[in-house]
Amino acid sequence: MTLDLAQFHDTFFAESNEALDSMESALLKLSAGEVDSELINTIFRVAHSIKGGSATFGFTEVAAFTHKLETLLDELRAGKRRVDPALVDTLLRSCDLMRSMLAATQAKQSLDAAGTAALSAEIELILESPAEAPTMRVPALPASVPAASDPATSSGPPGWRIHFAPGPKLLRNGSDPLRILRELARLGAVESRVDAKWVPPLAELDPEECRLAWSIELTGDIKEAAIRAVFEWVEADCVKLEPFGSAATAIDATVMMPAPKFLEPVRPEPEPAPEPKPAPETAIASPVSASPAATMLMPALSAPAAAAAAPSATAPMAQGDHGSIRVSTEKIDELMNSVGELVITQSVLNQLAAPLEGREAHELRSALGQLERHMRELQESVMRVRMLPISSVFNRFPRLIRDLGQRLGKKLELRISGEHTELDKTVLEKIGDPLVHLIRNSIDHGIETPEVRLAGGKSAHGVIQLHAYHKGGSVVVEVGDDGGGLNRERILAKARERGLVAPEEELSDERVNNLIFQPGFSTAEVVSDVSGRGVGMDVVKRNINELGGYVQIYSTPGKGSMVRIRLPLTLAILDGQLARVGTEVYVVPIVSIVETIQVRAEQVSTIANRAQVIRLRDDYLPIVRLHELFDIEPEHTDLLDGLLMIVEADGTRVGLFLDELMSQQQVVIKSLETNFRPITGFAGATMLGDGRVALILDVPGVISRFRSHETRHDPAREAA
Amino acid sequence: MNDAVNNPAAAAPGPKGTGRVVLGVSCTFHEAVALRAHLLEQAELPGPYVIEGGAVEQIDTAGVQLLLAFALDCLERNIHYTWQSRSAALDDAIRILGVGALLESPGGMA
Repeated sequence: MTLDLAQFHDTFFAESNEALDSMESALLKLSAGEVDSELINTIFRVAHSIKGGSATFGFTEVAAFTHKLETLLDELRAGKRRVDPALVDTLLRSCDLMRSMLAATQAKQSLDAAGTAALSAEIELILESPAEAPTMRVPALPASVPAASDPATSSGPPGWRIHFAPGPKLLRNGSDPLRILRELARLGAVESRVDAKWVPPLAELDPEECRLAWSIELTGDIKEAAIRAVFEWVEADCVKLEPFGSAATAIDATVMMPAPKFLEPVRPEPEPAPEPKPAPETAIASPVSASPAATMLMPALSAPAAAAAAPSATAPMAQGDHGSIRVSTEKIDELMNSVGELVITQSVLNQLAAPLEGREAHELRSALGQLERHMRELQESVMRVRMLPISSVFNRFPRLIRDLGQRLGKKLELRISGEHTELDKTVLEKIGDPLVHLIRNSIDHGIETPEVRLAGGKSAHGVIQLHAYHKGGSVVVEVGDDGGGLNRERILAKARERGLVAPEEELSDERVNNLIFQPGFSTAEVVSDVSGRGVGMDVVKRNINELGGYVQIYSTPGKGSMVRIRLPLTLAILDGQLARVGTEVYVVPIVSIVETIQVRAEQVSTIANRAQVIRLRDDYLPIVRLHELFDIEPEHTDLLDGLLMIVEADGTRVGLFLDELMSQQQVVIKSLETNFRPITGFAGATMLGDGRVALILDVPGVISRFRSHETRHDPAREAA
Repeated sequence: MNDAVNNPAAAAPGPKGTGRVVLGVSCTFHEAVALRAHLLEQAELPGPYVIEGGAVEQIDTAGVQLLLAFALDCLERNIHYTWQSRSAALDDAIRILGVGALLESPGGMA
């Protein structure tokens, strides 16, 4: 029987790309002067694994290139070659090339032969050049030492390195690592080192779960079977054995340790990390590190295909981590859709049960209440499956910052926090580009040159801050910088020049700041390929609005700027308030609603015989008559007879005039764009419990539609 | 059952809010829930803490892991703790599990 290797391709590509992300992170740390064996080994391991996988699957060009790269990395690993910025640059470009080669191979497109040949030649040139004096010593990586499988043939006292990362249920199953280690000590001399970074704070620790992992060195002429027998009651994939022959090799837990079956490490390394040396040009203080996953590359090669692949230290681990499986997003989307349909069916049942009376009806409603709770749990569970940490987006920025800093001659430091904040995969996929725009803008326009910064009493290094956190039912992402801040006068002058602001009109700081989101708006004197054409900030705002999110900008002259983006957790289901206008029912996202009030006559003022505003506390808010905006027949036209719902988007508040407020409910969002066409003011549609279709309001879109509606119906313009 | 849990006097805070962790004869998986509760109770005090481990005769990974979590919390909160005593059984478990370096507070042994 022949094995169809093609079935492993997608997994190989996905995992190779993840591995390349780890490689890039490690290279960026090298570039920041953080040279250590773990980083070099991580980089080497990625190249080694991709080479092995590519050769197995017959991707010869990828295998050939990574082989050359691996040779260079091997010299680094052996301490034969010095790590310098030029070499790091070559390695980063190699990383880019491998990524594009894999993408082209996956898409069955032709590879960039010229680019590959040029970089291969560059690597060969480096290899031919005399190696400089070694500057570091890197312990041998197990991935490259398959020959050491027989301890008897190695020099020095024989022994075993044992990597023991038990699952959390180990203690409950009656196994005790202390007993296991004691038994190992009967076989030979044991030196163990614990890895406690998965131990949560005491208040969160389940005392019956094991959150520890160990790196053990067992010295002695010991048969593998004897060691396996000690771990007889432990799951096989929690234990990894490696023979060694040299007593001089020290335990390096961070290099060898496979990640246990927990989630992310919850504690920083207990030992204080050495201060990173200041970078000569661009410092990147990112928490991004070689992920634990980097030690478990290519589980796809655990399939029979792995047998044909190059020997790899990951192979023993690759017998399958039964704690997780890789599922296509299509399958998860199908599941989400089914949950959505269930939510609709549930609201149909609620509607049907509402008019019923009697004991049975009461019991039915009670059961429906229970169903609703279970539905919410189910929906949350499915949503959690779709949730990914925002680090997958943040991880691309250290490279961006480094490259832009070099190009613009600016010294930059990237600070990331809240990178474990999770949000829906679809939102994540769409948030990357807007963030890139914002960061480029901050670097190009916000952060000053080192000379200007020093003259202004600031540090030469400009800081770009990325921060993510959950707030209410939303995720907030902030992009800040400590640059010069927005230039109010220049923005205002430009806006007046373009006719966006009347010459005598006075604007609040907030409105001036928001001008930069106008299409084509740029105050940059020089248009560069980084930014300055005025395309960017309006695209950022539009993209965020399309995601159901809002953007706000804050700036302090001389101190810096901060853009705050508020995003929904998911695009599939939202908590909505049903509101009636005439016979139409609309869904207003609850996250946009500030309050709903009954209007008193003395609160309302009319401007220019037409536009109405309501005085609410110390603010005047425009009144949006939805029936006029959507051209429908209302029940009430007098403001005193209906309700005013105050909604907010992008820092702007307006009052929506409605006939009636109905129930609140979760609604499943059906895309108008996919099923019909996009319409300004509507985020989508949904099916109500009674089978009617209701349109979901997109509050920023409603405000924008209202503004253009007002402009069209301006009496002054109509008279002219 | 953990002695400290049985004998509240033994677990009473020391002077000026000093926490006093008193480990019982047995600190194993079976006593883990009670030991965690005792550690959390002491951790609510501002510290520093004193740990008395002289009575420990039986301890397993679950017990050591709880002590480790407590010690790491102290490290993160920058609060010192000192070992007033450690039995041979406790010392042996700490050594074999390779947690010695993590369980040594800057305060060291009293």
